[in-house]
Amino acid sequence: MNDGAAAPLPPPDGDAEVVRRLRAGDEACFRQLVREHHRALLRVALAFVESEAAAEEIVQDAWLGVVSGIDAFEGRSSLRTWIGRILVNRARTRGVRDKRSVPFSSLSDDESAPVEPDRFTKGGFWSAPPSRWDASPESLVLRKEAREHIERELTTLPPAQRTVVTLRDLEGWSSEEVCNVLDVSETNQRVLLHRGRTRLRAALERYHAGKGV
Amino acid sequence: MFSCRDATHLMTEEREGTLSGVTKARYRLHMLLCPHCKVYRRQLDQAVELLKEIPRDEAPVPPEVEDRLVEAFRKRG
Repeated sequence: MNDGAAAPLPPPDGDAEVVRRLRAGDEACFRQLVREHHRALLRVALAFVESEAAAEEIVQDAWLGVVSGIDAFEGRSSLRTWIGRILVNRARTRGVRDKRSVPFSSLSDDESAPVEPDRFTKGGFWSAPPSRWDASPESLVLRKEAREHIERELTTLPPAQRTVVTLRDLEGWSSEEVCNVLDVSETNQRVLLHRGRTRLRAALERYHAGKGV
Repeated sequence: MFSCRDATHLMTEEREGTLSGVTKARYRLHMLLCPHCKVYRRQLDQAVELLKEIPRDEAPVPPEVEDRLVEAFRKRG
């Protein structure tokens, strides 16, 4: 990474080899690539359209874009980012057609409202402190239950928050990748991530309160 | 006055490593002294941990979709 050159960052390990194989027509390699990224792409697409079916269509369309564009890939971003951008371009077009726009770059009203406003005094100190729960060694069953609860809650987040949280925390993308693919500023990305995670923490609190543990 | 609300707002930023300077120092000091914010921060972390544990094997590519895409790949160029 730090080779002192002024050239753009080289793609992460393996990208160059994958691209070489794709250009050589390696079907197994392409199949692997599709399997690896399909789900994440589907999740991104779902930020722009309502239905799973429409999201599937967009993702397939994006893969066709990858197929026809692979010779033009310059390695200026990671392969994953490049594929993600192809997807988002198509998803945006589709979203415009469906009159559904997702406020990634300008935060919506919902995104500029204070986080958990009722919990603080006017001066900003806790009026309703977080209730404590035993986060330490839970049984596997309880942990699974909490996880499932959070997963359900994730689907109820506003689309922009859901997408950022999904890419960062479920798919393990870097903030840089998310910003590049969604074309959102570092700051807005962080705000969306924070708001999403905050809601999920609150959901966890409700879950534990409901269980009385 | 650096409040609990301020601290909670900065928690993701701190986790991302983008806090710096005076703000970072004030955040740290607050976290050292405020038990509620410490609890809150741990709970945020726990939410992220749980998210990371969500199984990633759902939504496999439907075989017919995969075949169609591979077919397109075969015919490219």
